[in-house]
Amino acid sequence: MKIMKKAQAGTMQSSDLMVFLEPADALTVTIESTVLKQFGGLIRDKVDQVLARHGVEAGEVRITDRGALDYAIEARLETALARATEG
Amino acid sequence: MVTSLLSSDDLRQARALVEESGLSFEPPYDDLVGIFQTRRLVAVGARQGRVLKMLAVAPGHQGGSLLDDVVTELIGRGYQQGTDSFFIFTTPGHATSFERLNFNLLVSSGKSVLLEYGDGLRRYLARHQTQVCPGPNGAVVANCNPFTLGHRYLVEQAAASVEHLYLFVVREEKSLFPFDCRYRMVHEGTAHLKNVTLLDTSSYAVSSVTFPTYFLKDGDPGGEIQAELDLLLFAQRLAPHFHIATRFVGAEPFCKTTAAYNQAMHRILPPLGVAVRELERKDTLGAAISASRVRALLCRKEIEEVAALVPQTTLEFLLSGEGRKIWDKGGAT
Repeated sequence: MKIMKKAQAGTMQSSDLMVFLEPADALTVTIESTVLKQFGGLIRDKVDQVLARHGVEAGEVRITDRGALDYAIEARLETALARATEG
Repeated sequence: MVTSLLSSDDLRQARALVEESGLSFEPPYDDLVGIFQTRRLVAVGARQGRVLKMLAVAPGHQGGSLLDDVVTELIGRGYQQGTDSFFIFTTPGHATSFERLNFNLLVSSGKSVLLEYGDGLRRYLARHQTQVCPGPNGAVVANCNPFTLGHRYLVEQAAASVEHLYLFVVREEKSLFPFDCRYRMVHEGTAHLKNVTLLDTSSYAVSSVTFPTYFLKDGDPGGEIQAELDLLLFAQRLAPHFHIATRFVGAEPFCKTTAAYNQAMHRILPPLGVAVRELERKDTLGAAISASRVRALLCRKEIEEVAALVPQTTLEFLLSGEGRKIWDKGGAT
């Protein structure tokens, strides 16, 4: 899967996250979270796992999280990916 | 549900809610949205370019997720319009409400604070990490609209008196010459100076975010120039990163806003460890060189006069097809 255009998904509500995707030559992931200290590593693992499953090798991934659970992270990221790759 | 506020009744309610919250209702804006409950507006917010403003939630409805919903909507819409960094001015007391939404505090002046959504400043500084020299260095911030002999004189004088000089070119697209053209003119006009590094200011110096009144057309914003946060941000975040010990500026005989900005610079920067050196303007034929004078001459197509005020590199650009298109709206002569 290739990120073809800018896309966004999610909200700023508590227990949710915002995902921003942009085309880029290399893969960069930046994560901002109100629980970064406690869960930054777990969020990152989840994001990497979803990106790998969809074969995303390049693009700028920016995430601002407010304590979302891992299935919310997965759903928001997949939605953003679908938007970034659709015709 | 968050909706656009368009009708005159919507606007009336929006104004009332904003003013009740101790803010002022300040058009213009690109988006104005709100949330209604039983036909009463209970939350409101607006976006103008990269700046979110007039965010208010009715008393009795605070503490829930209304603010989150309004900010989500404004950022989603802004992002679709091609904006990807967002800022909020608020009072220090409200800063934490926005920090909970992943806004980061950029700078605080005591009575107002500026927050940024996401970590744009950190990424900006990281992007320029390889250009950081040990210092102590100097800095010039200039719009260069267009790059004149006055700018070149200032940069040469400044570069000669420091180890290394950072020349920040204003990124904001609110000038006659687009950023790319201004940057190129500066690049070509300073290529002979080996200890000068060009940077773009992004949103972080003399931008419509940090210093909105700079871009007002008629230069007199009535005393208050709102440059304090701009200068605090420079002194607290940019200067330490780039080891900037001195900021150089040209004396300003014409523009009231710029003159007031220079005064604010003398007041704010030195206590924070950045010396300010104001250099007299270079003059030709008895009048100081300024970019506004060059623009006025271009407008009257007095090219020979222009040639005396700009470096050869700028003149070549102005006379190129691309350059002409910018100032010679009437077509080639």
